[in-house]
Amino acid sequence: MTPRHRTSASVAALPGRSALLHGFRTSGPVLALLALTIGFALADARFASLANLRIILDSAAVPLVLAIGMSFVIRQGSLDLSVEGLMAACSIVCALALANDRTTFDLGWVALPVAAGFGAVFGLVNGIIVTRLRVPSFMATLGLGSLCQGLAMLLSGDQPPLIRDAQLRQWALGQTSGFPNLALVALACLAAGFFVERFTRFGRYSYVVGSDESVARASGLDVDLCKVTVFAFAGLMTGLAAAMESSRLGVGHVEIGAGQMLAAITAVVIGGTSLSGGSGSVLGSAVGVLALTVVANGLVFVGATPYLQKAIEGTIVLVVAVVAGWHVRDRLRVVK
Amino acid sequence: MMRDVDVLGPLALGLALAVALAGTALPGRAAALCEKSQIRLVNSMREIAQPYHVNLNKGGRLFARWAGLEDRYVLQLNQGDSDKQIVLMRSILATDPRCTIFNVEPNADVVVKPMVDTANQTGAWIVTHWAHGPGHRPFDGNDQWIAHVAVDSKAVGVAVSEQLVAAMGGKGGIVVLHGRLDTDPAQKRFAGLKAVLAKHPEVTLLAEQPANWDRRVAFPIMQAWLAKHGDRIRGVWAANDDMALGALEALRAAGLAGRVPIVGVDGIPEAIATIARGEMTATVSSDAFYQGSIGLAMGTCVLTGQVPAPQTWERQKRDYYLRVIVITKDNAARYAKEPVVDDYASEWRCDNLWSRATGPAF
Repeated sequence: MTPRHRTSASVAALPGRSALLHGFRTSGPVLALLALTIGFALADARFASLANLRIILDSAAVPLVLAIGMSFVIRQGSLDLSVEGLMAACSIVCALALANDRTTFDLGWVALPVAAGFGAVFGLVNGIIVTRLRVPSFMATLGLGSLCQGLAMLLSGDQPPLIRDAQLRQWALGQTSGFPNLALVALACLAAGFFVERFTRFGRYSYVVGSDESVARASGLDVDLCKVTVFAFAGLMTGLAAAMESSRLGVGHVEIGAGQMLAAITAVVIGGTSLSGGSGSVLGSAVGVLALTVVANGLVFVGATPYLQKAIEGTIVLVVAVVAGWHVRDRLRVVK
Repeated sequence: MMRDVDVLGPLALGLALAVALAGTALPGRAAALCEKSQIRLVNSMREIAQPYHVNLNKGGRLFARWAGLEDRYVLQLNQGDSDKQIVLMRSILATDPRCTIFNVEPNADVVVKPMVDTANQTGAWIVTHWAHGPGHRPFDGNDQWIAHVAVDSKAVGVAVSEQLVAAMGGKGGIVVLHGRLDTDPAQKRFAGLKAVLAKHPEVTLLAEQPANWDRRVAFPIMQAWLAKHGDRIRGVWAANDDMALGALEALRAAGLAGRVPIVGVDGIPEAIATIARGEMTATVSSDAFYQGSIGLAMGTCVLTGQVPAPQTWERQKRDYYLRVIVITKDNAARYAKEPVVDDYASEWRCDNLWSRATGPAF
């Protein structure tokens, strides 16, 4: 029996509960999130009001869904840069499938899984290009993302479709027992993602593929199938995120994904997932997403001067990244 | 010998051309600089996702179709990248520069000078909109810079802010959504608001944030403000309609749609419909269809010789303010319909190109 080394991959292989505790005990991301929340609450007490916490959850919903998909991709050592373009395409598809001012479709809530499925199909294409055509993931996904962006512009045409489904809009903007509905959807995705990564074979294989792909292949794992599935899953999450954002805003928007890709990757990295793959958890990514959302919301709350807002936001993100990664900075052998 | 042939040929051709052109030039008109079928119409703008730009493009296309040049119409999108806007211009001018007309919505004010310089160097023609950098004017020897159609953004800001203050009853707190703060429209519209606020001390500015002209960015900002200020917010001022509509959705989520006055700028169809419904108070339109087409119309008139060369025009025809329209519930119905060629054809005629000029912009 090989001795147990405390690498991230073997941490993931520990029995469920102690792995969780281990993560939180040494968790820089959670400390960073707490520090940010307390800091902003001290600056303005209304920041910590129930109403605002609800808004933070609501704002975090779409980035969280994206980060869940991105977690799986980064954990296996790949990158998915098609997020912005794919979100654009799925947003238009969702808007056209709902009651809108351009087409006669009226699929109601079915439009959301339709858009998600559309995303999954393109995610599948990503996976096939990476595994069969052997194109590095950042190039393949970047190319596909541009393709999807173009597709979105074509479908959007001269007039971005306006969503007229009042019931769905009300649901997307509304709450259930105090929780924003979109946040509930994101939490459901989080639970599903956590279940898959912790309790399914596919989840564990995905860690191994990211840790050391050649070992995975030598062990007889179907690495290609694993990779394609992960990309398809990321595409599914992207499509769902686009549908959620479109329902909230009431429009199919070609620029709906602007800035979301880097935000998702940042959240995943802040949450403890190494860019070189093999470690991390969707829970960590959720903490990362919350941290970024708290920063954005908090800066609006304290009224940071518009001219410096971007600079301040960037500085805070850097500090959070350093704090979040502080406990593993020595053991971090590869920093990309 | 080879060398003699090389010189004689072009020289003979040049002389013949000069004689031909001299023959066609009539007193009071300029010579046609290009064959109509050679004219290329280029609309250069930021993107096509915002309704304002959709209408800029529509206006350009409407004109191109009316002029019989629809297949010579090119759309250039720079996606918010100033360098790209210049590079796109230069790359298309690799062929046929002298018969190409650019109608430009500058991504940022600083982009205008390099584009005008490119036009001067290549012989292409350019009409710019909105604002350009200081100390730089069409009539200062920039012969290819046909005209600059300026919008008095401060006056626009004043007009729309007065509507907001009136709808608020002259008192209360407002929140402000800026556009990209490195552009003249964003800065000047806000200057207009400040001028109006100075005259109404009972209206206070509670908070301000830039939202990048984008409803997606405006939405969470408005949400955070609602959590922070609650019902102290009596009015929302947005530098453009798209951000105003994003703020409206945040208000809708809080059950306040239609209960808080909102103003924007641009006059996009969605905003006009929203004003008609009573969920927005006012917007100001520079008429994107007109802006997207008038530069092309001017250029076509110059190239076909129907107007003399721009360097002979009086100054106020080359740098002037465009008439804007304030749209409120009272007149929303008139502006809500889809534009047709007949609405604009009379203003594209070469003897009526300045029908919407309100005065010199210098």
